[in-house]
Amino acid sequence: MTRVVQVPASFDYQAFDQFAEAFGEPGDERLLFDAHATHWASPYGLVGLLAAGQWLAEHQKQKPLFTIPQNRDVAHYWARTGFFRHAAELFELHGKVPHVASTGASDVLLEVTPVRGASDVHDVVDKIQDRAAAILRELGLEAQATMGFAMALSEGCQNIVEHAGTGGWVAVQAYHWRQRLGRRVAVIAVADAGVGFRASLETTYAHRVGERWGDVAALEAAVLHGVSRFRDPGRGQGLAGIRRYVERWNGKLSLRSGTARISSPIAKWDDDGPMDDGLASFPGSQMLLIIPARKGD
Amino acid sequence: MPAIDLRTILEETASNGNGDLVTRSTGKAVRNGIVQALAGYRRDQVAIIDFSSVRLIDLSCADEIIAKLLVEHGRTRCFLLTGVDEGHADALEPVLDRRGLAAAVQDRSGRLRVLGQIPEPVRRVFSILAEKGTAKVEEVAAHLAVPPAAARAVFDELLNRRLATAAPGGNEVVALA
Repeated sequence: MTRVVQVPASFDYQAFDQFAEAFGEPGDERLLFDAHATHWASPYGLVGLLAAGQWLAEHQKQKPLFTIPQNRDVAHYWARTGFFRHAAELFELHGKVPHVASTGASDVLLEVTPVRGASDVHDVVDKIQDRAAAILRELGLEAQATMGFAMALSEGCQNIVEHAGTGGWVAVQAYHWRQRLGRRVAVIAVADAGVGFRASLETTYAHRVGERWGDVAALEAAVLHGVSRFRDPGRGQGLAGIRRYVERWNGKLSLRSGTARISSPIAKWDDDGPMDDGLASFPGSQMLLIIPARKGD
Repeated sequence: MPAIDLRTILEETASNGNGDLVTRSTGKAVRNGIVQALAGYRRDQVAIIDFSSVRLIDLSCADEIIAKLLVEHGRTRCFLLTGVDEGHADALEPVLDRRGLAAAVQDRSGRLRVLGQIPEPVRRVFSILAEKGTAKVEEVAAHLAVPPAAARAVFDELLNRRLATAAPGGNEVVALA
């Protein structure tokens, strides 16, 4: 039996809950990810799709199906981000995959990239720095924003390596966020299909929380209190560092795991709440970091 | 004694090193490399760790290299971090804070300061040291408007934390160099 998972027409972090609901809790059925009508996907959407594919690859025998966007420009853009190169390993692709040369696209700061080990983190950080410096200058941010951006990227990717128990994906792009902000933004999206924050922290931290223990408490512990599954007191600083960076540059950090999502800090321009609970469950964790331009361009 | 160049240690110890100090595994390898290099130092020599050629250090690596180095060796040896820029400091300060540590750092213009947790009077005396190179008990007592005994207590704190060295006679502290 095949079940269709509709990929949202505009697939950003806000539409992710709709995607997670459609993904559901797959059993033995084969899934078909239908993106033929999708006209836009943020890096968060793209790495989320790959995380879904990865989870299925690790839990099902049959490759899920995937129909690529009908719109040629959209498919080209996804190809330029490197999405299809990785999707082909996880999905049976249907539709014409555009052949594109190496991106060179100024808005794709980092192609969709797998993160499985420390050497991947090194490669990602090495690739991002020169391009990030140029883009962040464009956004009107000072030179110091670049090093923090690379630090945040590194720590975000290391969360996968250190805690997910499996691999994950990262992508970095800059684009004009017309609908929400009317400004250009630089975006880091990191997703994995691993154990998630609740399972990661359960052994060392759940007993302190008692009955309230769950996805919300786990995200609060990790993001607000710097709790880590390791007993080493130096651990658990990565997310705090990302928060500081985001706050300094008036950005957004959102972390989704299981059935909850935390946003912290909340910038003035951001109308999301600090915590969403009772969301559709989705494997692993998904991180979004947005750094907006200082002024509209 | 020559400074320990972090880039050189990175190249010698981490196969995936490309000039950036990121990830815990890299940090651990670099820390072990530093500890090996320290074997060539006398115990009373200031260990100078040079950041000049480091493009990026993240929090995980800063914790593995510097914070753990200070936890393991900071009671018995003075460390001075040189060539530290604001980006490096952004990673070093919180990891030192988290463990209740402090380190003397020198930026690329030669300016000395302390990163991490120290009581305010100690920070103020360190500022005198950074400016003048040395500080005497009477001078500190006057600066802090405290009795000489209290000034000596601040000296002791600086020396216990290995943020300065004592001049012969015990009446004066000297900035790390």
